[in-house]
Amino acid sequence: MPEETPWQQALRYANRADPYPFYAELRKTPVARQPDGTYVVSTYREIVALLHDPRVSSDVRRLPARAPAPAEPGAEPITEAVIELEPNIITCDPPEHDRDRRMMTRHFYGPTDAPHQISDLEPDIRRIVAGLLDGMRGKTRIDVVDEFAYPLPVKLICKILGVPLEDEPRFHTWIETALDALDLGPEAASEEMRSRVAGARGSVKELEQFMAGLLRQYAEQPGPGMISAMVHNGGPGGRMSEGVLASNAVLLLFAGHETTVNLIAHSVLTLLRHPEALEKLRRRPDLIVPAVEELLRFESSVQFWHTRSAVEDIEIAGTTIPAGAPIFLVYGSGNRDPERFTDPDRLDLERPDNEHLGFSQGIHFCFGAPLARLEVQVAVGEFVRRVENPRLVVDPPPYRHNQIFRGPRHVLVDIDGIRD
Amino acid sequence: MRIVVDLNRCQGYAQCVYLAHEVFKLNGTESLTYDPNPDDARRLQVERAAAACPVRAIMIDRLDGAERGAAS
Ligand code: HEM
Ligand code: HEM
Ligand code: SF4
Repeated sequence: MPEETPWQQALRYANRADPYPFYAELRKTPVARQPDGTYVVSTYREIVALLHDPRVSSDVRRLPARAPAPAEPGAEPITEAVIELEPNIITCDPPEHDRDRRMMTRHFYGPTDAPHQISDLEPDIRRIVAGLLDGMRGKTRIDVVDEFAYPLPVKLICKILGVPLEDEPRFHTWIETALDALDLGPEAASEEMRSRVAGARGSVKELEQFMAGLLRQYAEQPGPGMISAMVHNGGPGGRMSEGVLASNAVLLLFAGHETTVNLIAHSVLTLLRHPEALEKLRRRPDLIVPAVEELLRFESSVQFWHTRSAVEDIEIAGTTIPAGAPIFLVYGSGNRDPERFTDPDRLDLERPDNEHLGFSQGIHFCFGAPLARLEVQVAVGEFVRRVENPRLVVDPPPYRHNQIFRGPRHVLVDIDGIRD
Repeated sequence: MRIVVDLNRCQGYAQCVYLAHEVFKLNGTESLTYDPNPDDARRLQVERAAAACPVRAIMIDRLDGAERGAAS
């Protein structure tokens, strides 16, 4: 068997807790062709260049139906299921992208002259976080993922979208099943992953049908939230088709919680690994704003993105990416690139000039970043302020399977109590 | 407090607008206007906005010599 590339090694589950040494190796070839024809981009400068390059498309319909080599026979069914969904904004190009994103922006943030729907949520966010911490009173051991990081983003995104919270157990299972099956590395071909993929296909379908059902329900009877508003009132740009709306609603439901959960969990984990930083933040709570940026740089919730491809040949860093080739931009590696960040493996809550790629850049810059930031600033700030003497029980913690949305499955912490 | 936005860097991402809309406004799709002397009561909002700018175009209290926020 040929030796694995640094990229393939980085994708192995055994390296999920610490992919960084492999990224360092990977950066020696900023744009590295993989055996399957994918071009993996790992350096800050090249990632930014491609994010602003109109010759790069995010449209999944342009991706070569990745000929599932005999090595990955399980790979195609779910891919089909995903691509059956209409493209959403993360997987299409201008002009559709800009038109749909503008429409979503108005419904998510409010009208252009008063875009404060998200900042108005701060009292809700504080109330939910306070409730979660109050609920830990009397406990000596907590799981930061299940008891703290997960409930906040899911409650908020359901409220914003108008998805009934009672349905949470169902769609949570579908999303987890799908994510646990999404493996973009050498382990995709294993027996176990292949059987997971079979299950995931059904889950993605169910999620799609669930959303379509909700849309129909709101079409008949308007209700609270963004989905109903978009069904009834497209605004100046017209209305989205039902399929496009459903696909974007699934995107928001999904993107609106997995990523934020992982950032909250990783932030607590990282601070507990860096007691001086934790102490500094406890003494100077106002540092929470730059601290969250640094925590996101340090452990990026979206490690890379996988739906881009070259529209024409692109010469970059001494390589030619041929037209049609898939391109992976590895944000998690660009964020640790020593050419861009001084001492990148050091956590510095006051890092100057922290222009990280945690939310990407360019036209696909994270749509939900203002919401995510507010949630994480409040959650991590309050955790640091209120939890007495938190200590990691298991380090490194167990990780979720998926490589893109990288995050711990559990973070067990022993505590002495909860302050008021 | 005093703020300066480097409008040559600003890419019109509007991240600042969503976090402190009383201070930053986007006119049309691309051009940003802002209040260069917002009330100190808005400091947290403005600091959040500065940290949220993807290209770090917002500088806080630079003229006072006390550098704050994410600007270098
Ligand atoms: C810490 C939390 C989050 C992180 C780290 C994150 C990260 C990202 C990244 C890196 C992208 C760009 C993907 C690409 O390369 O194309 C992205 C796009 C996106 N994110 Fe987030 N995200 C977070 C939270 C959220 C939330 C809370 C929402 C929704 C409420 C959201 C919705 C979206 C959407 C809709 C896009 C696609 C934007 C477009 O293509 O124009 N994200 N996010
Ligand atoms: C947001 C828009 C999404 C796009 C554009 C997208 C796109 C893709 C693409 C292009 C592939 C094929 C990768 C390959 O060829 O190897 C893929 C695979 C997959 N995606 Fe997504 N995806 C999206 C969201 C999701 C979500 C929300 C889930 C789960 C909840 C999901 C689960 C999967 C799974 C399980 C696979 C299977 C990977 C495999 O084994 O081939 N995707 N996706
Ligand atoms: S966030 Fe930065 S780039 Fe965006 S409008 Fe504000 S100053 Fe300009």
